[in-house]
Amino acid sequence: MSSQGENKIPARRLLVTKPSRQADKVFFGLTSVAANFSIVLILLILGFLLYQAWPAFQSQGFSFFAGETWDATAVPQIFQIGPMLWGSILVALLGMVIALPLAISLAYFIEFMAAKRFAMVATVLVDLLAAIPSIVIGLWGFAVFGPVAQHWASLLHDYLGWIPYVFYHEGNNYGGSPFIAGLVVSVMIVPIITSVTREIFSQMDRDVINASIALGAGRASTFRKVILPTASGGIVGGALLGLGRALGETIAIFFVLNLVFHINFFQVINGEGGTVASMIVSKFGEADAPERSALMASGIVLFILTLLIAALSSYIVKKAQPWRSN
Amino acid sequence: MTATQLQTPVLKPTNPWAKRNRARVRDVIIASIVPAILAAAIFFGGNAIGWSMDAAVVLVLGFLPLQLISAFLVGKKYYGSHGKEDALLIVVTIFLSTFVMVLLLSVLWSVITAGAVALSPQFIFQNSHYISGTTSLEYGGAGHAIIGTVLAVAIATILTVPLGFGIAVYLTETGGKSRGLIRTLVQAMSGLPSVVSGLFIYSILVILHVQPTGFSGSLALLPLMLPTVARVSEEALRLVPVDLRNGALALGSPTWQAFAKVVFPAAKNGLLTAVLLGVARIVGETAPLVLTTQYNNDTNLNPFNGPMAMLPTFIFGFIRNMYDTSIQRGWGGCLVIMILVGVLFVGARVANRKKK
Repeated sequence: MSSQGENKIPARRLLVTKPSRQADKVFFGLTSVAANFSIVLILLILGFLLYQAWPAFQSQGFSFFAGETWDATAVPQIFQIGPMLWGSILVALLGMVIALPLAISLAYFIEFMAAKRFAMVATVLVDLLAAIPSIVIGLWGFAVFGPVAQHWASLLHDYLGWIPYVFYHEGNNYGGSPFIAGLVVSVMIVPIITSVTREIFSQMDRDVINASIALGAGRASTFRKVILPTASGGIVGGALLGLGRALGETIAIFFVLNLVFHINFFQVINGEGGTVASMIVSKFGEADAPERSALMASGIVLFILTLLIAALSSYIVKKAQPWRSN
Repeated sequence: MTATQLQTPVLKPTNPWAKRNRARVRDVIIASIVPAILAAAIFFGGNAIGWSMDAAVVLVLGFLPLQLISAFLVGKKYYGSHGKEDALLIVVTIFLSTFVMVLLLSVLWSVITAGAVALSPQFIFQNSHYISGTTSLEYGGAGHAIIGTVLAVAIATILTVPLGFGIAVYLTETGGKSRGLIRTLVQAMSGLPSVVSGLFIYSILVILHVQPTGFSGSLALLPLMLPTVARVSEEALRLVPVDLRNGALALGSPTWQAFAKVVFPAAKNGLLTAVLLGVARIVGETAPLVLTTQYNNDTNLNPFNGPMAMLPTFIFGFIRNMYDTSIQRGWGGCLVIMILVGVLFVGARVANRKKK
């Protein structure tokens, strides 16, 4: 925006809004207080949690992140969140892997295939479902969807059980597995990924799509060669947004996943698992001071993990919309 | 190209520009009905013979391949080779979209049907004094929890809305220096796990040696509501044309007047939407309330003193009992929450629509 070296034309003045009157100064001051409050809030959350979590980090050392034991009655007490940390990541990844194709096809269906009125109804429905509280999904997953998903898990075991390790299962009870938790989480994040993806699809330049069709491309090749490459950034960002939501998901997982302190790497239909968030809620009630500190420490780990993912996703989504000015 | 070359093929009038090709429509309809009939025949026929057919297996291994084949045939017939790819895309898209819609409608349907069993006048107006997990549904209700939720959410809203609007105004009106940072932080905050927000307030309670009250619950809801309000109202303010602002400023009004008299009235409905969506976001939040409030079977009208029940903790507590009646109470509570969310949501849409 600065001067371009032309002598005749005066340098373009940079227009700035500066508070000049007393009332304006108050107005600007109030808004920047509110804006800075968001910084303060994040720092406060980190500060208070770190202050409370410090004893646990100090007594447990690095094995807090990797170990597999949680025993508040042992002397000295052992708090290690390895299985929960892995469980969070496994369930969130499973949820995202299931949700992503569903969300992309739903977004494509709404934006490019469905009749206008039908698309509008579907959009409203998806937005409404993004607002369903997690406890409702939790109760549904536990009482309605759980039995169905357990049946699917048993089918997976029957038909694909020959694949070693992944579909290992013993006994007849298929409940409480990462597979079911992943499905329930995917139901929660499909609306989120769908609305981000749909947003990106709807902002696409229609001329490019029409040009592709005019060149003789069909739906599929237009989708593969034009729509996907253009929207990929937004889709990845939306998927990361969903991943962050899935990592922080608490109550729904609490109801559908067995909490076992043993790392369950990829045995998705084996009823062993647990996530950091669901562990916090289930251990919280009868925790003494050191255990509480350990729970705060797990909260911090979760918070930093989701912060990183959220920052990454907002960066990618922003990159994916270069036409949007600041 | 000479004229003779053009004359050689005998062109049939195919009307490729016609909106509807009757033969094609007929074939598409046949191609979408026949596989379903065949799959149903396999399912019911197999069951009749005595093989126990599984609906999920028939759907994935029977219906889907049949549907793909028939779509391939039609696509090939009318669109040539790339018709096959298109058929694959269309079938897979519709199949997966239907799957999602069925799941999501199943959530709504089960909440409505199961919740309707528990819903009754006393469920809305009575509290749960003397109620245990096995008490019949004719007694007691969630009235105390509804009051608690309304009070806690109202306090959270009163605290959050000025902050959220302030952030939005800072981002759109003032041209402040750290807009990028603030916007990124607000985005990041929207990914804040609800349980962490609960832990944060809980750690404050522990440090100050204070008993949990309804107010601590509203404080735990604040960080969850703030990003929604800030982001949606930023979008609303952004929709107001820059020229309007510049016009006001050019007429000599200070920035605050330009905002209060020009931008704010223009964006009023959008800001209302932001508030409603923010409330919808927190009305069913459970994890932070489980950590920062105490359940109470009685009605408590004072959010600053004593334990206070709220709908999410009411549902959570009753589901954990695992008795049939207590789970039914949970469904009833879920229905009440869903009605609240639905009303807020419709309100938000209506407010947003009037703007045009």
